[in-house]
Amino acid sequence: MQALLVFLAIAALSLLASSRTLLDPSRLPGVAQLAASGLIFLVFGALLGPGLAGVLTEADLQGLRPVVSLGLGTAGVILGLNLEPRLLRLLPRPVFSAALAHAGVAFLFVAVPLTGALLFTTGVSLRLAMGGAALLGAAASLSSGHFAVLGYRSGRMERSRGLAVALLTMLDDGVGLGVLALALVLGAAASPAEGVGLVCLALLLGILCGGLIAFLTYALKDPAELTAVMLGGVALVSGAAAYLRVSSLLAGVACGATLALVGGRAVEQVARALGRFERPTYLMLVFLAGCHLQARDVEAWMLLPGYVALRFLGKVLGGSLAQRFAASALKLPPKLGYALIAQGGLAVCLVVQYLMLVPGELSQHVFDVVALGAVVNEVLANRAFRQVLETPRAATGGTA
Amino acid sequence: MSGAIIRLGLLVALLAGISRVQLWRADTGNSVMLAAGALLLCGMFAGKVAKGVGLPRLTGYLLVGVAVGPYALGFLPGEGVKGLELVKGLAVSLIALVAGTELHLGLIRRVGAKVALLCAAVCGVTFVVCFAALFALKPFLPFMVSMSLPQAMAVSALVSTVVVSFSPTVTIAIVQETSARGSFTEFLMALVIIGDLFVMVAFAVAAGVTRASFGGGFDFRGLVGGVGWELFGSVAVGALLAVAMLIYMRRVNRELPLFLVGLCFAAAEGGARLHLSPLLVALSAGALIANLDERESQRIHHAIQLAGLPVFALFFAAAGAGLKLSTLVTVGPAALLLVVVRALAIHQSCRRFAPKEDPRLRRYLWMGLVSQAGVTFGLAALVSRTFPDFGPQVEVLIVAMITTHELVGPVLTRKALERSGEARGDERPQTA
Repeated sequence: MQALLVFLAIAALSLLASSRTLLDPSRLPGVAQLAASGLIFLVFGALLGPGLAGVLTEADLQGLRPVVSLGLGTAGVILGLNLEPRLLRLLPRPVFSAALAHAGVAFLFVAVPLTGALLFTTGVSLRLAMGGAALLGAAASLSSGHFAVLGYRSGRMERSRGLAVALLTMLDDGVGLGVLALALVLGAAASPAEGVGLVCLALLLGILCGGLIAFLTYALKDPAELTAVMLGGVALVSGAAAYLRVSSLLAGVACGATLALVGGRAVEQVARALGRFERPTYLMLVFLAGCHLQARDVEAWMLLPGYVALRFLGKVLGGSLAQRFAASALKLPPKLGYALIAQGGLAVCLVVQYLMLVPGELSQHVFDVVALGAVVNEVLANRAFRQVLETPRAATGGTA
Repeated sequence: MSGAIIRLGLLVALLAGISRVQLWRADTGNSVMLAAGALLLCGMFAGKVAKGVGLPRLTGYLLVGVAVGPYALGFLPGEGVKGLELVKGLAVSLIALVAGTELHLGLIRRVGAKVALLCAAVCGVTFVVCFAALFALKPFLPFMVSMSLPQAMAVSALVSTVVVSFSPTVTIAIVQETSARGSFTEFLMALVIIGDLFVMVAFAVAAGVTRASFGGGFDFRGLVGGVGWELFGSVAVGALLAVAMLIYMRRVNRELPLFLVGLCFAAAEGGARLHLSPLLVALSAGALIANLDERESQRIHHAIQLAGLPVFALFFAAAGAGLKLSTLVTVGPAALLLVVVRALAIHQSCRRFAPKEDPRLRRYLWMGLVSQAGVTFGLAALVSRTFPDFGPQVEVLIVAMITTHELVGPVLTRKALERSGEARGDERPQTA
């Protein structure tokens, strides 16, 4: 029954989220922005979940775990498919330095002070507090390039600048995934050695499944068969990871990356086949993530302002540092940090994965802070991005 | 075909590896998605192998499901396979929706009366023969030994109604796979669908009589109400579904395969909760659309062919994985005897009562009626739930029969369509 409930909720919300009234930025800019980014599903999930209205119970959420794993695996495979090795090799070193700068500064700005705050609010050991804060930092380091993409598509931003921002935001995913792996090493097993084993198992599973999918899709021409193999492959890698209680997200990334490396010509078709399911899967995942949110988590609400403010500061400073590093290689907009405020779905994926594999009070706090922060950052990002757009206009005006 | 065998072998090897690793991980998680992915992929490539050796793809799906499932090699855990019930409902709805789009008023006018008469004859003869066989087996069947004569008769009647049922799912899937078209195919499809309606009504009556024979009292109003709700309620909900589909296709008209999958999923789940027949809901929706708007019905047909492959492969592979081979050992002889008796009864009644003008019906129709699948499973589970004293043992007997029928039924159905000259081969690789 819970699956039917979720399906009906998603269908109703999809209709609502595609409503022209809701998407009209002139009426309700904040809501329109959340609807366009899909994060409104997170809000609806929180409202319907056990933390508030209780339409979906804890038992329902347990029963829906396979769907969450599938969502995480799909997100991972899509991320991995974007790790095009030839393209990455072509990028000059300053681009990587710039990505590391904006992600790293935001990470440090959030992780270091919040270690103390977590120690104070939760009373856990220093090691655990550092792990939780590192994950908060990892989520903070991530940025979404969707404003930049929308900006250049609508002609409000120069195309080369928009693409440069999108490229930097894509590269920061590595920091987030690396920290997730580290957090799982420390928290998902009884000892760090076992944790390393579990992360390696997830990656090995992903590599094996990626190689197998590449072989299965080789010489398949029928689009229906390709779609079926891709769907089956993603379900297999996500499901196997969930069954063995290792990270579906990391296994998915390894699978996608392997596929991109050895998949040959079929990769493009495979990516296209998967792309058809990307949006529904993402919305479903974000909705279910929202259901896990504990709106009455007082500590999370206390940490939230600090998390958002520190991230904002980190992104602004990290952005200017990145600008300096990549000045010779990329044409970046002035006030780059303001273009990096939007956080996107991967941050939510990271903390959902952490919550699933390391259950407990601390991971719930981390999850709540990041999920609430993603919504706040999305609304903030809408205003912040205008700063990036207004500057060139003013400059043009001045020149004229 | 060798490529498909190598791919299937690699998939099975990966599953073996995963089940090996699972032994080291004491704390394992949910296995539903693993079962879904593994059965879909294995099903697809087993279908290709089966096609290569001249068998229906469907047999490949079923056999690979049996092989990797919990009752043979055990690479997939039982809970994972059980968790795929949702997919089964979805597949039945999709298959029935396609079948419904074939039910034009012209066809019903042309063959409706003949099909209904033949169906009554086949179901009647099969029921009588199976009833007699079961009653004769009373001393050998543990759940009937201690029953009084009237009780044994009532239980024999109840089990016989379940045993009579056909499999519209298998028939329609094989018709899709072979792209069969013609009067023989129409007759066969109409017969299995109407046969299921007969079985639904007969089952409700037999369940009421059995309940009364065990001292539960005969609730005539409840019986009529239950059957009426299942039949007419399903048709009414199907009509609503058809209207929803037509509105969507005319006004929104985007991502039709996804929309149909979603709607069929909702219809299957919602229908089951409301005690409706998901098969009849989707069937009536399809039939209504076919008779209201031929163009839209063709679009539905095409859209389901695109979305159908993963759903069908997964459905039949999951059905195979759920087959308990051990039941063949425990109640094997009785089940096999009933399988043979049922097949003979169907064969003889078709030879005797099928319309004379088409000799193919008398010769080959019986082959298309041997399959049993979803409906029979559902009724067996219902017997088990309704009569906890003897129901679980009846379920074991019927599941053993279904296992045999699942393995030989699709092959016979395909043979019937081929021999009738209406199968066009695998023209469309994307179908089941």
